[in-house]
Amino acid sequence: MAVRSVGLVLLIMFTGMSLRTLDAHHSFAAQYDRAKPHTIAGTVTKVEWTNPHIYLYVAVKDDAGKETVWAVEGMAPNALYRQGWRPDTVNVGDMITVEGWLARDGSRLLNMGSATMGGRKILSGTIAR
Amino acid sequence: MKLVIASSIGAVLLVVPLHAQWVKVPPPSVPRTADGKPNLSAPSPRTPDGKPDLSGIWMPDNQYNGEPANFAADLRVDDVPFQPWAKALYDERKTGAQSRNDPSAQCLPQGVPRINAAPGLWKIVQTPGFIAILYEAFDSFWRQIFLDGREPADDAPPAWLGYSTGKWDSDVLVVDTKGFNGKTWLDLLGKPSTDALHVIERFRRVDFGHMEIHITIDDPKAYTRPWTVAEQVRLSPDTELMEAICNENNRDLEHLPGGPLR
Repeated sequence: MAVRSVGLVLLIMFTGMSLRTLDAHHSFAAQYDRAKPHTIAGTVTKVEWTNPHIYLYVAVKDDAGKETVWAVEGMAPNALYRQGWRPDTVNVGDMITVEGWLARDGSRLLNMGSATMGGRKILSGTIAR
Repeated sequence: MKLVIASSIGAVLLVVPLHAQWVKVPPPSVPRTADGKPNLSAPSPRTPDGKPDLSGIWMPDNQYNGEPANFAADLRVDDVPFQPWAKALYDERKTGAQSRNDPSAQCLPQGVPRINAAPGLWKIVQTPGFIAILYEAFDSFWRQIFLDGREPADDAPPAWLGYSTGKWDSDVLVVDTKGFNGKTWLDLLGKPSTDALHVIERFRRVDFGHMEIHITIDDPKAYTRPWTVAEQVRLSPDTELMEAICNENNRDLEHLPGGPLR
């Protein structure tokens, strides 16, 4: 509880701070299509707090109840840490909404631009590279 | 209950700076304005022997429309004097069609001078005899710049970041780097380099928070004459380097276009 509270306070403190581009080890434009923004909402099934990018895996149900797992690529863990994220900011079982950009190769891969959990914006307006 | 929660949050706010944000511990040597913010326009510091002190954690201060793609963005196309083969290769790479073959995408070093221009923090540690640059992105790389008057390492084994010697030209640190392996893309768009690459960087700390780097690319196998670009970097006064091991979980390659890895 205490750890989650720290995370919450830090997120409140850091949401809205000027965001920096910190992790461009590859071409964003070659991997993702800025002309294809996409939003998913679902349940987090796996969290990888890893370099060079973090990954969230999100199970999304369609109208028929069929479940599909999306991979969400985020910024580098150090960049997120400096914005107040911690390895336990997002956990398995959390409900999350992610706005981002679709991968050009058509895979179920989304680049995380912003994210919302429990009505709180936990990442705002960032292009993860 | 509300009181308990409010008290808890208050306590958290008080303790957060002490243990939760260790990278934000402000270094004591940073000049501050009256409101406590880092004074980035304060005069450049100097070492006890009177040389400019370039120490600090720096990050690129370029725009590039958000992409550190084209470090010759301020130049006209004609100002980059490609050899014909280099122009053909660059034209292919800049479309993104070979992005998988960018060494950086494979978690290999970005090379010199790109490593100073791409997003990521780097720390200068300065002594009278040598300067070390410690890089956070995208692995924990380092360069040594020897200031002791030694000759360039002409017989050194080929290296991603080369071998650097430096000297002071008034208040400018002039760094001469050779011994490259020829595998580096000079920028994200893929300007080629060869094993004949010779980079001359001129570092000038303009004020406490800003430094400009004039970079001359001298690679006669890839370019018909030396050419120069300018980079701006700014101080990150309230943070610290952290470990970043790029190859821990690099899933990007399978989604990037390009031929077989080479």
